[in-house]
Amino acid sequence: MKTPLIVIITAALVLVISFLIFTGTPIFVKNYTKTKVICGEIAGPILRLLNKPFLGAKHIFNTYINLINVKKENSLLKKKIDELQLDNKKIPELEQENKRLKTMLKLTESNPETWIVAKIIGEDLKNWFQCIIVDKGRDHGIKEKMPVMTPKGIVGQVVEVNKWHSKVMIINDTNSSVDVNIEGRDTRGILEGTGHTVLKLKYITKNDEVEVGDKLVTSGKDSIYPKGIPTGIIIAIDKNKAGIFYDIDVMPYNNYKRLEEVMILKKR
Amino acid sequence: MKVSIYILTGFFCAIIESSILSFIPAEFLKPDVTMPFIVYNVFFLSPQAGLITSVAMGMIQEIFSNAPDGSMLFTKITIFIFALFFKNKLYINSKYSFSYICSGAVIVESFLYLFLSWLSRGESGKAENVLFFMLPNAIFTGFIAIFIFSFIGFLNTKFFVRE
Repeated sequence: MKTPLIVIITAALVLVISFLIFTGTPIFVKNYTKTKVICGEIAGPILRLLNKPFLGAKHIFNTYINLINVKKENSLLKKKIDELQLDNKKIPELEQENKRLKTMLKLTESNPETWIVAKIIGEDLKNWFQCIIVDKGRDHGIKEKMPVMTPKGIVGQVVEVNKWHSKVMIINDTNSSVDVNIEGRDTRGILEGTGHTVLKLKYITKNDEVEVGDKLVTSGKDSIYPKGIPTGIIIAIDKNKAGIFYDIDVMPYNNYKRLEEVMILKKR
Repeated sequence: MKVSIYILTGFFCAIIESSILSFIPAEFLKPDVTMPFIVYNVFFLSPQAGLITSVAMGMIQEIFSNAPDGSMLFTKITIFIFALFFKNKLYINSKYSFSYICSGAVIVESFLYLFLSWLSRGESGKAENVLFFMLPNAIFTGFIAIFIFSFIGFLNTKFFVRE
């Protein structure tokens, strides 16, 4: 069967238009965004609806697994008690962390209208991008570039808002960069996503003070994330790398694969 | 009728995948569930059906992804054009040959995305990431394509008259 000419012409036309959308040609982007938003508004409720049985199944599965593992867990817990006794020595450090978390909690309690708690209902279909879909959207006051976090630390930022759901770009995404300070030191850098679990801390010069185990907090200078929010911990430093900067690996506090709920900070 | 049923099935597959993925802590398990529908419609239905499916699947992927606007549409349409070109050169005689073609299409799509990034922005910031996941994505898509092919076969025998 011969391919009709009209199909080839239409395909070529769509190809050119999609390329122009990708390059950010305003007229095409505007119309395409409108179409995408309409489609997203149809898809959003279905995603929310479909997520519920999966959530239920996950709950049942976890309960079942828990029952099976009770015995094993018991003996493990006994071992853990011994370990915890050793860990008691770390109490001062934990107190400091507790203080920080309490500050975050106070922030939430004192200004409940500034925080929106959202459930994760979906994840990016492509592993080239790191994004999660949450069940709160425009109707709940969500806007683009709002920071997303958990009491543990930063998760990412809102990049696309629909009526009922929003897309959040995780700090692990290659397009993500966060302005951070090293806690307790006068050192500032940019935390960049790699597309994998470990992040890269960039632009830390070799005369800056930095050690493995140092904690990172947001500097608040990128005008997206508020100041002082924990982001991650330094796990490796390559001091022999050529050039003026260190090669630093950072483990984020949040493993987005295990998150169920997040907090979105409403900007005034 | 057939086309809309297949597009709807693809749409639901994408939603289910997005939903399930939020529970599975695995980065590698992300097959492209939309690709088998494009390949099937181009090879077994009309070119018009293939074009409509490609546009729909490209948009569906962009809705459930952080992919830059237009990128998935571009890659899916290009895959459609390639599939159209190879329609009379490749012969799908089983679900396995169908799965190989779907895997191949995923590999081509990865390179297309890199080419598109390079062409429009002069760089491919995600190159390492895209290449890293290219093979696992192709393998899992091929695997899932076997089931999708069987499912479409089931739909055909149950609800449609065979052509």
